[in-house]
Amino acid sequence: MAKEPVRVLVTGAAGQIGYALVPMIARGIMLGADQPVILHMLDIPPAAEALNGVKMELIDAAFPLLKGVVATTDAVEGCTGVNVAVMVGGFPRKEGMERKDVMSKNVSIYKSQAAALEKHAAPNCKVLVVANPANTNALILKEFAPSIPEKNISCLTRLDHNRALGQISERLSVPVSDVKNVIIWGNHSSSQYPDVNHAKVQTTSGEKPVRELVKDDAWLDGEFISTVQQRGAAIIKARKLSSALSAASSACDHIRDWVLGTPEGTFVSMGVYSDGSYNVPSGLIYSFPVTCRNGEWSIVQGLPIDEVSRKKMDLTAEELKEEKDLAYSCLS
Amino acid sequence: MCNLLNIEKDPIRVLITGAAGNIGYAIAPMIARGMMLGPDQPMILHLLDIEPASSSLEAVKMELQDSAFPLLKGVIATTDVVEACKDVNIAIMIGGFPRIAGMERKDVMSKNVVIYKAQASALERYASEDCKVLVVANPANTNALILKEFAPSIPEENITCLTRLDHNRALAQLADKLSVPVSSVKNVIIWGNHSSTQYPDTNHATVSTKSGDRPVKELVTDHNWLKSEFITEVQQRGAAILRARKQSSALSAASAACDHIRDWFLGSPKGTWVSMGVCSDGSYGIPPDLVYSFPVICEKGSWKIVQGLNIDAFSREKMDDSARELAEEKELAYSCLNA
Repeated sequence: MAKEPVRVLVTGAAGQIGYALVPMIARGIMLGADQPVILHMLDIPPAAEALNGVKMELIDAAFPLLKGVVATTDAVEGCTGVNVAVMVGGFPRKEGMERKDVMSKNVSIYKSQAAALEKHAAPNCKVLVVANPANTNALILKEFAPSIPEKNISCLTRLDHNRALGQISERLSVPVSDVKNVIIWGNHSSSQYPDVNHAKVQTTSGEKPVRELVKDDAWLDGEFISTVQQRGAAIIKARKLSSALSAASSACDHIRDWVLGTPEGTFVSMGVYSDGSYNVPSGLIYSFPVTCRNGEWSIVQGLPIDEVSRKKMDLTAEELKEEKDLAYSCLS
Repeated sequence: MCNLLNIEKDPIRVLITGAAGNIGYAIAPMIARGMMLGPDQPMILHLLDIEPASSSLEAVKMELQDSAFPLLKGVIATTDVVEACKDVNIAIMIGGFPRIAGMERKDVMSKNVVIYKAQASALERYASEDCKVLVVANPANTNALILKEFAPSIPEENITCLTRLDHNRALAQLADKLSVPVSSVKNVIIWGNHSSTQYPDTNHATVSTKSGDRPVKELVTDHNWLKSEFITEVQQRGAAILRARKQSSALSAASAACDHIRDWFLGSPKGTWVSMGVCSDGSYGIPPDLVYSFPVICEKGSWKIVQGLNIDAFSREKMDDSARELAEEKELAYSCLNA
């Protein structure tokens, strides 16, 4: 007996992350191989023809799990009945634009998306904000959609998390699936803090701490961190376009673990509404280590935080506070 | 997913040529997630492209690493065809010379046959003995034919071209017409060339209904539609996508390539056949020594043409038209090589 289809919204669906993401969703990567889906793809009117092209290709792919495609430029139609919303749409930074300008454009977008989601999405809709500035866009969305439970609004730091796993696995020449429990703290920006203090590697003699196996604290506290922080820029430099493939894949991981649960003993990184854990100011969307069960995430508590980590975690919280102030000044 | 002994399968090596392009970018994560070879089959990706694309190619490798795919055991990104072909078990040939505005058909053919002749040598010398080849780059059938001719030690049954995209498009058009899920439609056939002379044939297609499998011809009462609009819709779908997106199909081409290999590798579902461009053995009166799309079933890693299907006069004509075009392409290809 087939499951009822789940409605998944992708905003900015005509763009390159959308193009990478929708076939992944349609193949069951996001919600499981037995979960039918109906895709809602939303973009702005100038992209309407391209959006229809994506719809045509999804139909041409004859995906067994894909039970329908709604391609629209109407936010209401886009949001109606959706159970999962992946917000990829946003105003990209163009050359010459000031940070304030990017922020200004995006907070208006996310304020109005908030209203549409609140009114038309299914109750308990899970929201993942991808478009940058991800954390602050998610915060604005939360603030202007007060009836969406705050635990249902998140932003993507799983990409950074996966990048960190990738760097460790390269360094140790081990399969990436043997590395786990890195943490990305804070903002999905260059102030993020990739923390390996609790990360582990599966070896033939059991799980070992990453620090023990890498044996190079200078690298772990230096180059490793900046490589992960600046990986996005490195991809842009090489591709002349920002990461789409890996962003899309990480978005699938984020939702899948949220909905289906994290494996036993594993935690992942999600940008979530801070409750003050680890002395991170509440009222920010901040990336924490979480486990997921029964469709809910919970922050992993009780991890010892050393001084170096404390400083870095506070720095990124500072930046988020500034972004929040800037966002509100734009809205006023 | 718990395996007490945690014995993982050995990784399979998959080559993607033209890997820095749009289809490559779409297909690489699909392969890495197990869509091509199954959810428990690890792989090592070999990504090949030309020197001008080496920076983009490196970026694809970086993004694959950044995705932390559990099944992906390694990535080789290279502009060296020998390194790329070494020991590969599967080769997806996406790289080719695209038609640029103003180019004559002869010019496109000329550029591509040179490429596929060279790729043939490299694959023959360095790929694994059992390597399965799928040619995607257009002109797909003729590129595959050239590859076959210049890699004589690769068993000809291991050289194919992609018509699964057309096949899937045909299923989707029927599903839309009948307002049924696409997964309940099967056994369309794409005969011939992956071009506008392809023949999407619904004579043996069925739809699964509450009262069992029923012929499409019974449920679609408008047979005129099946013999005209439906056919042109499928034949020209590529152009329609190009118009809408301003770029050619990548997502659906990549997905169809995964379907083609997966069914070849793991077997097509019972009672279902699929379309593959394969070396003709003369079946259905199609001249041998062409790479022609036929209905096939796949079992134990081999494909077999579905035999004994009734071919009416309408179909006969279309099948022969497409064969004629392929014979012309073959001649053109050889004239380019001998020039």
